Amino acid sequence: MTTQIDTHDTDILILGTGGAGLFAALHAQQSAPEGTKITIAVKGLIGKCGCTRMVQGGYNVALGGGDTVERHFMDTVMGGKWLPNQDMAWRLCKEAVTRIHELENEVGCFFDRNRDGTLHQKAFAGQTADRTVHKGDLTGIEIISRLMEQVLSRPVEKLQEHRAIGLIPTRDGSALAGVLMIDMRTGRFRLVRAKTVLMGTGGGPTMYKYHTPSGDKTMDGLAMALRAGLPLRDMEMVQFHPTGLLAGDHTRMTGTVLEEGLRGAGGQLLNGSDHRFMFDYDAKGERATRDVVSRGIYAEMRKSNTTVNGGVYISMSHLGPEFVAEKFKGMVKRCADCGFDLAGGKVEVVPTAHYFMGGVVVDVDTRTAMEGLYVAGEDAGGAHGSNRLGGNGVANSTVYGGIAGDTMGADIRTMGALREPDPEVLEAEVARAMQPFSKKPDLIQPLRDRLQEVMWDDVGVMRMADKIVRGQAQVASIRDDLMEVGVSDDTRAFNLTWHDWLNMASLCDISEVIAGAALARENSRGAHYREDFPEEGDLETSYFTVARQVDGALEVGREDVDFSIVRPGESILPEGEPDTLVAAQ
Amino acid sequence: MSAENGSLKVTVWRGDGATGAFETHEVPRQESQTVLDVVSWIQQYADPTLTYRFACRVGMCGSCAMMVNGVPRWTCRTHVGKVATGDSLTVEPLRNLPVIKDLAADMDPFFDKWVKAEAVHHPSETRHDPIRPVDTETEARQQADVGIECINCAVCYAACDTVAGNPDYLGPAALQRAWTLYNDEREANPEAILDAVSGVGGCHNCHSMGSCTQYCPNELNPLAAIAGLKRETTKRVFRRRRND
Repeated sequence: MTTQIDTHDTDILILGTGGAGLFAALHAQQSAPEGTKITIAVKGLIGKCGCTRMVQGGYNVALGGGDTVERHFMDTVMGGKWLPNQDMAWRLCKEAVTRIHELENEVGCFFDRNRDGTLHQKAFAGQTADRTVHKGDLTGIEIISRLMEQVLSRPVEKLQEHRAIGLIPTRDGSALAGVLMIDMRTGRFRLVRAKTVLMGTGGGPTMYKYHTPSGDKTMDGLAMALRAGLPLRDMEMVQFHPTGLLAGDHTRMTGTVLEEGLRGAGGQLLNGSDHRFMFDYDAKGERATRDVVSRGIYAEMRKSNTTVNGGVYISMSHLGPEFVAEKFKGMVKRCADCGFDLAGGKVEVVPTAHYFMGGVVVDVDTRTAMEGLYVAGEDAGGAHGSNRLGGNGVANSTVYGGIAGDTMGADIRTMGALREPDPEVLEAEVARAMQPFSKKPDLIQPLRDRLQEVMWDDVGVMRMADKIVRGQAQVASIRDDLMEVGVSDDTRAFNLTWHDWLNMASLCDISEVIAGAALARENSRGAHYREDFPEEGDLETSYFTVARQVDGALEVGREDVDFSIVRPGESILPEGEPDTLVAAQ
Repeated sequence: MSAENGSLKVTVWRGDGATGAFETHEVPRQESQTVLDVVSWIQQYADPTLTYRFACRVGMCGSCAMMVNGVPRWTCRTHVGKVATGDSLTVEPLRNLPVIKDLAADMDPFFDKWVKAEAVHHPSETRHDPIRPVDTETEARQQADVGIECINCAVCYAACDTVAGNPDYLGPAALQRAWTLYNDEREANPEAILDAVSGVGGCHNCHSMGSCTQYCPNELNPLAAIAGLKRETTKRVFRRRRND
């Protein structure tokens, strides 16, 4: 079968329709010269795939009442254990103020109100002020549905069910010429050339046995960036949420989040013998931070103090089933639909890979080392350092998505014609995607299961050098096996199994990077915990990891954190400011 | 896989809207198992060419709705035990929409109508203005609040017999969104919304059969929202006559 590549030209191409992609489309339209063609491409349907939509908690933004951008910034840097790029964290906190006004006043989002009609704000773990703006516990749906309406009603070209598979640079490698995609519905290759491209495909650590992100998330963006030779930072930083639903290996329900608020309200975690174990690990019990609770549960699992499916229980019934059913209506209904009684019974839970702090190295305007390529949202590293505060995820994607739109709209004015793609890279990317058609068809899911087991066991919640090394060997062997697994070439149109294969290829690539970075960080910071290096290390000489592919091999180095705004142990809050404005629970 | 749970006989549609056929697969039954799990199992283990769509797995994205034993449902949140008739299950693509392939419907017409209903906020203020205090106790705000959690899954659209008989009809989801916006005190152009929903294919096509409200997985009430639009558009006609 000969391979034809359709070509398609635009001016501004946006990959992804989460908070970053949709905001970029709106801002690019506002800032680019008249007549600029804007195209938005997405692996699923506009606004439906991706993870901004799945945000439960809300949106962190300092809006007065004692709270300040400075305080938000300090919480972000401290939460990230001094690893964040401080200029990025600052820009995030500062522009979140503008962005929330834009969301409410221009996009039409409606957020929960206080009795006096002002915005209601609550405090998540790790915050020192009531800062999180929300719409019940379904904030992401409100934000994405409203952004989606705005984008759908504008003259933005839409390429749905188009997955990006390769960044195609110019022949000299100095700039990006376009993006190779597969039009999933027809199965045809399509090269989209653009002067500027925003990559906002979202991270999503779905290479772990238990994970929260949506099914379309498979690290495709970071895998493309890796192959293009771009530097990736903080790649060891995988945030685990402590309470993912556990319902058996065969169901897609497993791994999905049971909300943080359950523990905050007094939910208890019980092991297989009904012992309330969290106080064995931390004085705050179930109310300790996400990473601490995840490690507590993981430790119980290693001791085999587990439930039928190998996790622990969350129990709410002591608070009164009616109270629970009223306060956590959505969660209780979701559990009930799936056959579990959250209000009156016990529900099995397990830590679950939730968010990826690592990503492409970018500047505060979302520019990368490659001219024409911009990165925002979960694909970009730096703003969160070693840990992301609840409520900073959607703030990050919307703030930086908007900045990317503005920056592309401005940069495009000085850019001339579309660039010519390097035919050799293009050919190599097509060949890479076609690989499974030359092999004997076989099942792919068992390989996905194997990868998820390996990453969970060896590069997961608690890590150790020898296990990481073992994990690296396993990932390499799984990738070798993947290269021998074929996909039937009968029809490429909407062939999900072909895409499962491509998903696995992306996941293997990035799993290798996570393992390499986890080995390189010889201390324990935020989401990354090394049993052989349990201390956080000297803060003054904090470093972040930088991984890149050089001549096909992975290189992981360390770079010093630039304390450009505040040094460890210091604060930018005025003298005499209280540590926290939140009343103790 | 636990064979002791027995198996399910699952019949799925293969093909596009015009041509195709049903195929039946035997799928191992599990204690905690959704319709999405069943469809996924077929693609992963029995027939790698089966096409379907899903994303979030938890009833937030509205990508995975299909006809399950003739009823439109979110497959990710539908427990097999609650819908299987004996040991059999029939899964088809969402009704009232073109089929792309197998179980994946083309949702574009649904969203085209969303846009056609002017179901988009028209700003009365900018990012440079303060956020306006909103009294959540007013009748209008409460009307807006009841419909706001729609996730545009198109279950109501698939359930609606008026959509089935009248391809121009905007459908319950788009009209409910229009009603929500109309009641939002921040909306700059409520008249444009009424214009959009009172023309051809607008709210007056609704025969109040109520399938939308009956099948909405979020327990919303598009029927009441459409009734609200009918009332307001009618009132406006009388108002205009008076003013002529």
